[in-house]
Amino acid sequence: MATTTKDLNVAVIVKLEPDFSEGNVSYNADGTLNRAETKSILGPHSAIASNAAFYAKVKYGARVAVGTMGPPIAESALQQAQLLCDADELHLYSDRIFAGADTLATAEVLKAGVSKVEGGKVDIVFSGHRASDGETGQTGPQTAWKLGYTFLGNVIDYDVDLQSRLVRAKRLISLQGFYDVIEEVEAPLPVFISIDPSYKAFFNTVSQRLAFERYQKEAKSRAENYKQFLKVLNTQQLGINPKLVGLPGSPTIVYKVERIPKAKASRKAEVIDGTNRDLIARVAANMYEVLEGMVIK
Amino acid sequence: MMSKYQHLYVVIEHEDGIPVPVSLEMLGEARRLIDDFNKKYSSDEKVVALVLGHNVRKLCEELIFYGADAVIYADSPELRYRRNLIDTKVISQIARNREIVAEFSGISDFVKPRYMFFGADSIGRHLSSTVLAELESGLASDINKLVIEDLEIKHEHKTKGQPMIYEKTLEMYRPDFSGFLWTTILCLDNRNPAIEREYHPQACSIIPGVFAPIEPDKLRRGVIVDYVPEFEERDLQVRIIDRKIVKSAVDFDSHKAVISFGKGIKDSPEQNIKLISELAKEIDAEVGISLPISKKPFPVSQGINSTYMIPDRVIGTSGRKVAPLLYIAVGISGAMQHIAGMKESGFIVAINPDENSPIKDECDIFIRGRMEDVIPLLIEELKKQRPTVEVKK
Repeated sequence: MATTTKDLNVAVIVKLEPDFSEGNVSYNADGTLNRAETKSILGPHSAIASNAAFYAKVKYGARVAVGTMGPPIAESALQQAQLLCDADELHLYSDRIFAGADTLATAEVLKAGVSKVEGGKVDIVFSGHRASDGETGQTGPQTAWKLGYTFLGNVIDYDVDLQSRLVRAKRLISLQGFYDVIEEVEAPLPVFISIDPSYKAFFNTVSQRLAFERYQKEAKSRAENYKQFLKVLNTQQLGINPKLVGLPGSPTIVYKVERIPKAKASRKAEVIDGTNRDLIARVAANMYEVLEGMVIK
Repeated sequence: MMSKYQHLYVVIEHEDGIPVPVSLEMLGEARRLIDDFNKKYSSDEKVVALVLGHNVRKLCEELIFYGADAVIYADSPELRYRRNLIDTKVISQIARNREIVAEFSGISDFVKPRYMFFGADSIGRHLSSTVLAELESGLASDINKLVIEDLEIKHEHKTKGQPMIYEKTLEMYRPDFSGFLWTTILCLDNRNPAIEREYHPQACSIIPGVFAPIEPDKLRRGVIVDYVPEFEERDLQVRIIDRKIVKSAVDFDSHKAVISFGKGIKDSPEQNIKLISELAKEIDAEVGISLPISKKPFPVSQGINSTYMIPDRVIGTSGRKVAPLLYIAVGISGAMQHIAGMKESGFIVAINPDENSPIKDECDIFIRGRMEDVIPLLIEELKKQRPTVEVKK
């Protein structure tokens, strides 16, 4: 499936998400998200995945394609991603029947989409850690599985050996109740990498820095004319079985949505004036007492 | 009773034979659910633990004490550490294996498990995704409440708009991203003739720290089945070259104090976070955040961003549940989703300018004031008093 030359083709899967930043996000009186009033942006984790793809471009001269599933407005996510990774192609997988998909049905579309890039010869697919709205973190690995690509999750660093067609990646694994593990793995291409939120690209050599600047400039001008790079693909063009996508293709449904019941008020607070040094001194003493286990309330 | 779909499979995570806490928590909840299930439906379905690893026989016995009726384990040096590809293959093989099931529940029409649980952590989140992609069924993530019931469903696609009874349906509750809403996810067969299809197992990943394990009972008996996995050459191509144990970047469990901050940092986010981390150092506290902070609502420097504004630090129903001796809530209004994650703490101090904040009902000391004023004062006083306090071990 992978190319046998020294070329590298990468794809990034991104998502248009509500912008949770202050000033852009709007909440209803009951504290739930006001979707109509909240702007949409390229999700923060999608942005990190785009940065990881840009690293492949700068370091290995990779060709980069960015794809997303969504309504026509989702092309703005593609544009924002292009600005970050100087994408050579933008793909919008858009069809009314894709709506309402759960992660498995979404993965079916994304699999078909990635298979359309470079005649199916994608060496690395990048996705973000999880979306800010859905927050499942399932779509990436499920797409990987459907593609038959080795899935590497929580990747904080990676490099590719173009000769041997191997990727070397560092992964950050949190083991609840134990410790974290930084694991270094080696896997043959093709692979699917979901990028950890703590990923940061480093460009060490002068030639990399020059390439970085050159591609960044190119990205800017490309993103201004992003429509030239954009392809919109529907069910038929993607060669998808309609029974496997959207609501019909989703094993799961949302049965009900309710407010999380309020916890009962459980403590009676002593209120203290925060500018009164004597009182704060007493709080400090309280804290030490509690921490030394001398006074347990 | 014969059924194609039976039993609740729990995928166990462990570190060289020591179970990760969420594994025992899942077994506890599985035990409670299946006991009720068997009573209600007069059946004899089992809680089945799945273990992949090397030299894990002792762990298997322990899992029986913690509520498993049967443990299926695959033991091989190739399975010592977690690798998604091979793990997914082996778990899927086991989940489809009827002969194994005969070892603990007699001859049946078993095709796949009825239900399946994974931990919602670095490993289980991805493993559940790929296993369910392979088994082609539904998966809900980050669950903190589970109910099994018969439900009447009327759904445009699933039932073609007709009301139909779905028996023994697993209701999977997940707190949504707002922290205010609970969404119930179901995994249902398509009974609409146009798209007819069966979806089992009904699967989910479970938030660590939510459910209680059962008291281990060394007299509990169960069946341990040794499964010999089939490997293909290709599946073993991912090689682990190095594995370094590092101190957890976020480690609530080994700290006696936790300081969390919320949107109240807004006037000068960068400075305030630095102030909070200074206070945290003073009393050796781990730093937590409220859910909205993980959405990165304020512009801050890259270092602060990647250190503090990360999902791993979220405390509440959509993050971690903590119970330190001392909990300090800074600039947190006290949304119920946050309260649920910290209310078991020993002693709770809130720092907040607004006395009407709901957090006031949940703390022992409410310091009214701006964090910019209060925290420097508090740090000074802590420093002053430090030498006079004797540390008792």
